[in-house]
Amino acid sequence: MDDHQFKEGAKAALPIVLGYLPVGMAFGVLARKTGLTPFEAGSMSILVYAGASQFLAIEMISKSISWFPIVVATFFINLRHLLMSSTLSPHFKGHRLRTLGLLSAQLTDESFAVAMSNSSKISNRPSYLFGLQITSQIAWIAGSVVGALFGKLIDHKEYGIPFALSSLFICLLVIQIKKIHHLWVMVIAGIFSIVFKWALPGNWYILITGILASGIGIAIEMAGRDKK
Amino acid sequence: MRVSILILILGMGLVTFIPRFLPMAFLTRRVIPERVKMGLGYIPIAILSAIVFPILFFNEGGKVEIQPHYLLSAIPVFIFAWKVKNLWGSVLLGMLVFWGLGFFL
Repeated sequence: MDDHQFKEGAKAALPIVLGYLPVGMAFGVLARKTGLTPFEAGSMSILVYAGASQFLAIEMISKSISWFPIVVATFFINLRHLLMSSTLSPHFKGHRLRTLGLLSAQLTDESFAVAMSNSSKISNRPSYLFGLQITSQIAWIAGSVVGALFGKLIDHKEYGIPFALSSLFICLLVIQIKKIHHLWVMVIAGIFSIVFKWALPGNWYILITGILASGIGIAIEMAGRDKK
Repeated sequence: MRVSILILILGMGLVTFIPRFLPMAFLTRRVIPERVKMGLGYIPIAILSAIVFPILFFNEGGKVEIQPHYLLSAIPVFIFAWKVKNLWGSVLLGMLVFWGLGFFL
């Protein structure tokens, strides 16, 4: 473990913390309302750590749906991480499986987006990614437990909180755009995501858009190379 | 903790871990073809776009409907992020604009 890298990663996580605390708290409040104890809500945030599926689980528990359909739904919601994990892998070639296991257990949309905003920071620097991810997860766990224990400390629909993580994603998206191909992929992915979200159930649209739009990115880049 | 909840959490944890871990475990031990690498370079943009755009054009019920509150908040964040490239600034600006617009919309 490299302390300097760890701290650097932890600092990079702060905008995520700002978003995770209130949303985690909202999860904790709902979990408690549905009959989960603060310990159970906290355990879910430690062992599952995937926002959308945790909210869905709460919703399904409140409708008395048994564990198996909830686990199946969780699997499909979180399949999108396949692409993020693949994208991170070239940066950790040959690292120990233990290290990779720890890093991948904490992979989320937000930490992935922050990590990829400057990929030179993560290349062969597991301590940096660990610092980034553990800081984010601690905020998520803390939010969940506090929400479950004390209920609403702040209203998560107030003070622009619903837009905090959206702003984070917008900024991270804009930072990624470095050449004209990127802009095309953004526009194509934007259109695809809307069409697929409309046409397909659940959140398949993220995975499918990810695959198709990056495939089109390759095609555009190859076409550009052939011309030269 | 109740056994049913423990089973649920362990099950959810396991099925969430698998797609997070498998690509990392295998691809870090293989030579990745050039073209696949190129595609991986576009995945962050593709996924981020797929997260951001639906927020602006779907309502909470999952129906297509322009979201003026989100759309109007997103525009200044896009411009600010483009010019300044600052994460904190973008998040705070976004929250502030969204909050402020709440009084009008």
